[in-house]
Amino acid sequence: MSEREHRWTMVIDLDRCTGCQACVVACSVENNIPVVGEDEVRMGRAMHWIRIERYWEGEYPNVRARFIPVICQQCERAPCEPVCPVFATYHSEVEHVNIQVYNRCIGTRYCANNCPYIARVFNWFDPQFPEPLNEQLNPDVTVRRRGIMEKCTFCIQRIRRAEEMAEAERRPLGDGDVQPACVQSCPAEALVFGDVADPNSRVAKLVRSRRAFRLLEELGTEPNVIYLKGGEAHVG
Amino acid sequence: MASKVTRRQFLKISGAGLLLLSGCTANLQRPVWMEPYVRAPEETLPGEDFWFASTCRMCPAGCGILVRVSNGRARKIEGNPAHPLNQGRLCARGQAGLQLLYHPDRLRHVLKRTGERGQGRWGRTTWEQIVEELAQQIQGMAPERIAFLTGLLPDYQATLVARFLKGLGAPPAVVYDTQAAFDGRVVLEAASQALFDVPVLPIFDIARADVVYAFGSNFLETWLSPVVYNRAYGRMRSQPGVRGMLIAFAPRLSMTAANADRWVPVPPGTEGLVALALGKIIVDEGWDKSNAELRGFYEGVDVGAVAQATGVPAEELVQFARRFAEAHHPVAMPGDLLAGSTNGLEATQAVEALNLVLGHLGEHGAIFLTPSPPSRDLRKVPVSPFQAVRELVDRMAAGEVDALFVLGANPVYELPAALGFTDALKNVQLVVTFASMMDETAALSDIVLPAHTYLETWGYEFVSPSTDRLIVSAQQPVVRPLYDTRDPGDVLLALADKLGGKVARRLPWPNLVHFIQTRLTSLQLLEGNIAAQDAKTFWAYWLQHGGWWSKEQAWQVPEPSQNLSAKRLLVPSPEFDGEASQYPLHLLPVPSVTFGDGRHAGLPWLQETPDPMTTATWDTWVELNPATAERLGVKHDEIVKVTSPFGEIEAVVYVFPGIHPDVVAVPVGQGHSAMGRWAEGRGANVLRILAPRTVPSTGQLAWAATRVRVTKTGRRRVLPRLESNIGVDRARERGVVPG
Amino acid sequence: MSADATALVQPKEEWRKRLLLDPRPAEEMNHMVLKAMTTFGWRYWVVVGILALLALIGLGGAWGYQVLVGMGVAGIRRPVFWGVYIANFVFWIGISHSGTFISAILRVFKAEFRRPITRASELMTTFALIVAGMYPLIHLGRTWRFYWMIPYPNQRQLWPNFHSPLMWDMIAIFTYLIGSTLYLYLPLIPDLAMARDHARGWRHRLYRFLALGWRGTEAEWHHLKRAITIFAFAIIPVMFSVHTIVSWDFGMTMVPGWHSTIFGPYFVAGAIFSGVSAVVTVLLIVRKTMKLDYFLREEHFDALGKLVLVFSFVWTYFFFADYLTEWYGGEAVAKELLTLQARGPVAPLWYLMLTTNILIPWFTLWNKRIRTSPPALFLITLGVNVGMYLERYIIVAGYLTRNRLPFDWGAYNPSPVELLISLGSLSTFVLLYAVASRLIPLVPVWEVQEGQFVHSLRRVGRILVPSVSELE
Repeated sequence: MSEREHRWTMVIDLDRCTGCQACVVACSVENNIPVVGEDEVRMGRAMHWIRIERYWEGEYPNVRARFIPVICQQCERAPCEPVCPVFATYHSEVEHVNIQVYNRCIGTRYCANNCPYIARVFNWFDPQFPEPLNEQLNPDVTVRRRGIMEKCTFCIQRIRRAEEMAEAERRPLGDGDVQPACVQSCPAEALVFGDVADPNSRVAKLVRSRRAFRLLEELGTEPNVIYLKGGEAHVG
Repeated sequence: MASKVTRRQFLKISGAGLLLLSGCTANLQRPVWMEPYVRAPEETLPGEDFWFASTCRMCPAGCGILVRVSNGRARKIEGNPAHPLNQGRLCARGQAGLQLLYHPDRLRHVLKRTGERGQGRWGRTTWEQIVEELAQQIQGMAPERIAFLTGLLPDYQATLVARFLKGLGAPPAVVYDTQAAFDGRVVLEAASQALFDVPVLPIFDIARADVVYAFGSNFLETWLSPVVYNRAYGRMRSQPGVRGMLIAFAPRLSMTAANADRWVPVPPGTEGLVALALGKIIVDEGWDKSNAELRGFYEGVDVGAVAQATGVPAEELVQFARRFAEAHHPVAMPGDLLAGSTNGLEATQAVEALNLVLGHLGEHGAIFLTPSPPSRDLRKVPVSPFQAVRELVDRMAAGEVDALFVLGANPVYELPAALGFTDALKNVQLVVTFASMMDETAALSDIVLPAHTYLETWGYEFVSPSTDRLIVSAQQPVVRPLYDTRDPGDVLLALADKLGGKVARRLPWPNLVHFIQTRLTSLQLLEGNIAAQDAKTFWAYWLQHGGWWSKEQAWQVPEPSQNLSAKRLLVPSPEFDGEASQYPLHLLPVPSVTFGDGRHAGLPWLQETPDPMTTATWDTWVELNPATAERLGVKHDEIVKVTSPFGEIEAVVYVFPGIHPDVVAVPVGQGHSAMGRWAEGRGANVLRILAPRTVPSTGQLAWAATRVRVTKTGRRRVLPRLESNIGVDRARERGVVPG
Repeated sequence: MSADATALVQPKEEWRKRLLLDPRPAEEMNHMVLKAMTTFGWRYWVVVGILALLALIGLGGAWGYQVLVGMGVAGIRRPVFWGVYIANFVFWIGISHSGTFISAILRVFKAEFRRPITRASELMTTFALIVAGMYPLIHLGRTWRFYWMIPYPNQRQLWPNFHSPLMWDMIAIFTYLIGSTLYLYLPLIPDLAMARDHARGWRHRLYRFLALGWRGTEAEWHHLKRAITIFAFAIIPVMFSVHTIVSWDFGMTMVPGWHSTIFGPYFVAGAIFSGVSAVVTVLLIVRKTMKLDYFLREEHFDALGKLVLVFSFVWTYFFFADYLTEWYGGEAVAKELLTLQARGPVAPLWYLMLTTNILIPWFTLWNKRIRTSPPALFLITLGVNVGMYLERYIIVAGYLTRNRLPFDWGAYNPSPVELLISLGSLSTFVLLYAVASRLIPLVPVWEVQEGQFVHSLRRVGRILVPSVSELE
């Protein structure tokens, strides 16, 4: 692990996000997210760590749809952290990421209630990967059993791996070396990931944009996910 | 940066001890997925990652992919950052390809029917036996009585099929699948032919355009090359100093239209009329300085009549025309919906003509054409129009076909039921299907030849439509084949060998790799991303980089056809099947972001991926305008019957605020009776109730030209969706949208 | 004052309605209590059998199934991560407030009507706490890891998080359980000794063990009284803390509708309201089934009815204060909560709650005839507990269906497993009570006798005045 402190940040440009769901599948593949099936989705138990919320504005024919991808916002002042009785979720001081320790989680689901972004998902059952579907599993990521809370980790395994690679090659971690699965896949490049502690990184520049805002900013959770407002050119 | 990323990606990544597998051993009560090292193939090193470059075959676009393989298992598919088409990006379908490989219901052996056709009783046999048997059967048949029906195959397979049939003396394969029909490839090529004298697919450089008018286009979802267009869309929105604008004219608020700055709802089939009116205004107001000879295009166009037919006020049409004409880099793109209308060809021409009259051809942010392949060996097999399928089915019904080979298509599922394919199949003695899963067509076959998935086999693809490069994308196996499967190409080579004679001379290669290597020899001399002295090195580099692409930009600049000045653009009124009095609504089948034309409905990741507009999963729904729903007395989650003159389906109502009141939209993809545990018996297949109507000008299936009526059933089934429609409706009422 | 002016008089019939002025010989009273303890009708066995079966199905079957298969068998889902289990938990914690409130507070304030009912209500405290204490375990996704919440020294030096209200909760509940069990036990000792002296066989052995060799010496009485007094004072803040902390499970969060400063006292008031009501319900059943009419009289129900009414006022006050504040705050999501209650899916429950908690008590309990009518009081107090349960259900499962991202609103319906477990835990509570009623004296005989010793009627002028000679 490198000595320097990182402040990993994701920028989500709502002007670019098309709602195409590529990130959703990328995340499921990378993080061994189980498929729960029709009935469970109907109950509201889909396990995706990223969901693209679609809101309507106006009425036909002047109706518009707005997409806003919501993931764990990796809050600096995360409401989920203090409520966990066993420290299964805590704040990493090195990465500035909100860590979820699957092995420690006992499943009080308190953190999920207290997350204003509804970013956490719970393993209601043991995941099913009928053979040979289990072979697709990413060996870098634990498969979570029933009764455990999980959420977006900013692909911490990729952060670690990039750090190790940089260390092995005796070079500093470069901007763009770390790409969570969703960012890597995003066809419209609406998602940008990087270290705002590095003033020259792409994210550091983007967070200074006039369009930048944080979701439910008034709650004071200080998310490390920054949204860029969708531009609204006035059209005839 | 690209080189750095590639270097890193191609390095074998070490770190065996760092796997975060600790959870697997923590508790004995959990199901444990151990890494079965005992079965690890020899060439793998435990814990080390390999990244193989290949080509995505989840749709015909041909994006470059990198597949992460560790311990002999494919773990993740990512876009290949070096590949000029998708530049590291990949769509939802592309990422889910792993499940095609590891699907538990894959075919594992050669199957031969033992019971009646369709009974599902199969016996196993070996490849040697089946090749022997097929060779014998083929030899006993008149060549013209042998037919191949293929989907839009990868180039290597299409070429092998074509050569095989030519060698046999059989008629060429009918190349048709629903994805191609949705893309409107036939129509786009015909339009290019009419306007630019070359039958190739157009490329729209929206990334550098400041105003984009999309007519009936779903270019962000499934059209031609969605990753390319998604990427271009993103760039279009944040060009230096300019935010590109997108306006969508379509009957439905598709994901593309939802991303537009303005969605202009028009009745189905009238998008071309809008384009005509815009052109007329542009010409009348004299914006077309340089192209006065094209004024004949718009002779007799009545803007007022268009306004009336489309419901777009004439003043607005004028504003749209001016905005387009004033722009520095405007581009008008026709889309898939046009191709589904009976006036598709004319409408497509009318839209592309907007670029023509303003002289925006082959420049920054305008329209380009896909260049032709760098060598004759890499020529593509053209897509057949629907008309060819119809003729094939007629021949089958008349008993003129003895053997039907189906490859890369699922006609039993995807053809309109009214075409009578399933019945016609009964008159065919021998039905052979190549498939990796037991799909509907395979289930009705005599012999099912289990095919490799694209992650287990070799191949190449000349990418069309491409971007600014010539691209020959490489495909290679990333894992050892899981089962006793073969690539259909290899099967054809073996068959040809067995048959001998002319066929064997046409297909002289011992295996697929040899064949592909001969195709690539011409590339070695061209200037591209890889330079190699000998064929072996070239082959190695080609595989390593994921393909060959030209060094220089290879846009083909469209040259207006010589005879355009005499041309008058006419967009006839769209025609529809079904009496308006009995079938008051227009049916719009919507190709799905997740299932495409339905071939990926078996993959659980995609089943659970929400539809972008409705957030629905696992089911089929019917999108109804709120006013229409109210008139019909139906609400969210009620089951309705959608009846066309050719059949009926049942699906769940989704009250969709973004759809023309005369239109019902139904997503394509569900309603499978086969294709594995996750696809079977859910939702409904809208393709079955379409009118089998061909458009005379192109032979294309007019898939958006069916009228239907929607009736209540009184039953209910809650649509499995992510959104809370109560919440979202409240947010709309109050005008509060987070963000 | 002259002697005859304050002469002791034998109470007449009307005064004999009052337990403390209607003394009977000690032996007779002992006998009454012991007889109630040792009478087993066939009905008793049927009831106990059914209860045991239900408890087994609920806690063995349904809970076991949930542990083996996963939390998914419950109806909870995103965003309603807490459901019936937490509502049950809060409800039973509420019930547990009865004993301490009646016994400790009334003891401290020397409310004499408490005497025959302290034991019955203390028992409720203990059993309700046991049932309540099961719920955090039932609710855990990985029940088998519950001990990670306990701060025990371990090799990996992992420690629970004392920032979490759940930890406070656990500590408060454990403290309360230990405290209230001891507080139940202390006044029981003389009665156990009495039972020991009258019993034979296994009962004798049991009581001999439990009575700790009580002989009734002055020193023993002195120590016991002291201990009871200390506990009575000590347990009161514990009681307040328990429900306050339970409310902080909600109040400390950012969940809309939960994040409220008034939740502490609001929950305590609600707990006492439901607890006292439950005491009435249970006492009515006990009196009816165990024939304890001598000890449990109209005067007691009259007093308890007044208490219920008072706490209905208190609860209503807090409810109103909370509601009004939310309403005037005007925050979008808070408005949605109010809409949810007034017109949304939980509206029927909400209106039922207002009826049983406010409307019915206010319009009935002011009337002494109703307060002293067992059937009416039974229905009213039962209604209060239904209402109080609904209050918890709405706060837990109702509020969670609404949040700040309308896309993620949800719905919640309890699943059969949740209902079976709830029924099982209710059965467990009743079963424990039914079994205990045959094992320990449900009426603290010595306390009643003590009360009767110190109560007397005196004539002052022309009127009779009940007088009490102050103890200690």
